[in-house]
Amino acid sequence: MNNDNIMLKISGLKVSIDDREILTGVNLEVRPGEVHAIMGPNGSGKSTLSAVLAGKENYKVTEGEILFEGEDLLKLSPEERSWAGVFLGFQYPIEIPGVTNVNFIKTAVNEHRKRKGLPELSAAQFLKLMRERMAYVEMDSSFTSRGVNVGFSGGEKKRNEIFHMAMLEPKLAILDETDSGLDVDALRVVAGGINRLKTPENATIVITHYQRLLDYIVPDYIHVIYKGRIIKSAGRELAQEIEQRGYDWLIN
Amino acid sequence: MEQNYIYAPALTSEFRCKVPLKETRQLFIVNGKVQGGKSPFSLRLKEGEVMKEMLQIISVRHKSYKEHLATQQDFHFGKGSSGKIIQCSHTFSPDRFRTTEKVTISLERDAVAEFYIMQNEHNNAEHSTSYEVNLGAGAFLKMVFLSLHGGVIRNDIFLDFNEKHAECDLAGLYLTDSKQLMDNNIYVNHLVPECNSNQLFKGILDDEGVARFYGRINVAPDAQKTEAYQANHNLLISDKAKAYTSPQLEIYADDVKCSHGATIGRLNEDELFYMRTRGIPAAEARILQQKAFAYEVLEKISNTELRERMLSLVERRLRGEFSHCSTCIRNCC
Repeated sequence: MNNDNIMLKISGLKVSIDDREILTGVNLEVRPGEVHAIMGPNGSGKSTLSAVLAGKENYKVTEGEILFEGEDLLKLSPEERSWAGVFLGFQYPIEIPGVTNVNFIKTAVNEHRKRKGLPELSAAQFLKLMRERMAYVEMDSSFTSRGVNVGFSGGEKKRNEIFHMAMLEPKLAILDETDSGLDVDALRVVAGGINRLKTPENATIVITHYQRLLDYIVPDYIHVIYKGRIIKSAGRELAQEIEQRGYDWLIN
Repeated sequence: MEQNYIYAPALTSEFRCKVPLKETRQLFIVNGKVQGGKSPFSLRLKEGEVMKEMLQIISVRHKSYKEHLATQQDFHFGKGSSGKIIQCSHTFSPDRFRTTEKVTISLERDAVAEFYIMQNEHNNAEHSTSYEVNLGAGAFLKMVFLSLHGGVIRNDIFLDFNEKHAECDLAGLYLTDSKQLMDNNIYVNHLVPECNSNQLFKGILDDEGVARFYGRINVAPDAQKTEAYQANHNLLISDKAKAYTSPQLEIYADDVKCSHGATIGRLNEDELFYMRTRGIPAAEARILQQKAFAYEVLEKISNTELRERMLSLVERRLRGEFSHCSTCIRNCC
């Protein structure tokens, strides 16, 4: 392994909410081109880890650090993390009535471009890009004029998350339970979108309960998190074992 | 139509709107004096008359008259007539203007009228308007209030349904900052059966701004099959902003559909975080949220050009600018 090429380095991370310690010492290293899966039973700290990475307030980091491309990620606001190339796909995407999906993503894309010193996209350029990226997740254009996630089905919301990801082209995507609430067809579409966005330069962390998603998105590493820390890391074969034997054998 | 108004009267260019809306005639009232016509202003549409253009009435207070001003405007829509009115009120200087205004609106059978009321005055201005509205059978009235800026803005609406099958749609958006006060008092009186009324008033309150809303729906014993709805929603942007809301229903008939709802809340934190994770800066995200909140009122403006202009005024207002059009330095709409 090449230590110089670490995109994300989490060291000894301890996180509390309301004085309750949720993460009790997480270590993780992610390099460009890698796909990591984080699995674990309910309440083990999976979603807390993704929330802390994205910069959600009310989570208190009591120990440890997170470096993203060598920079202290914890110092950055959520929007600064996004500009730096971190993306969080929500387990429960938020509905924003009155803000159309197209306005929302256009604002986001142009804010990103502003930080890169690029001019705003023209209306035609934006439309072209949007059509192209919506096709990645088989979304039709009726979604653009609707309020963000308003009245979307579970599957549509998750497709919209991947559409946002496709528009923002993050370096590191953290996908929190992207497979929850999806039927087989929707899962295939969503996973297809994620795979299509994969390059040797970017990395993905998929957080999931089930092995099912990993049939479509093949991880390089699987980590099992339990009681706030990673108790087992292995290759993709671990998913099969968890599917057959559950988590108990790892916990005990 | 009575030729009580004249387009582009002999008026110093100071008062002229440089970017009038398309298909709109403008009338100016300076310190209560109708320019180029009789005061007080009155408009009477004859039976079946259809106004081809919107009429924009721009009332300005100018420092040449600083006394308390009491004015009146009267609108009468004959049987089956229709028209759209924009009423704008402005102050041209930060003097202590006090204005008391009475507006009467009556619609005869099957008349249709839309009123868009834009209030944009300085912080020392106090403007109180009382609307007396009477609706005949099958008449339809829409009123949309946009209270953008002003020291004290008070609107009292007294609306009576006098004959069956009439309908009104009343909406308002009020925005306050510094120590502004916006006060809306609405009395909808269902005196006869089978009329519909709808009220939607929303406010965004910043700094130490205060809003008061009092909405009374009265349904008389005979007014069966009434449908009357009322909603008042307030968004507090700062810790010191205040909203007082009093929804009141008095129902004496037993076969009616009525509802009221009032809320006072803050911007949704989950929405804010979601937008920020997509790279939308917090300040910009808050503006998006406020625009979304305001849009429900603004979308009631049927004329696209007027709606777009109002939207842009609201957006600039939310960004803390004293609203004026992009091409003109006057504080008009």
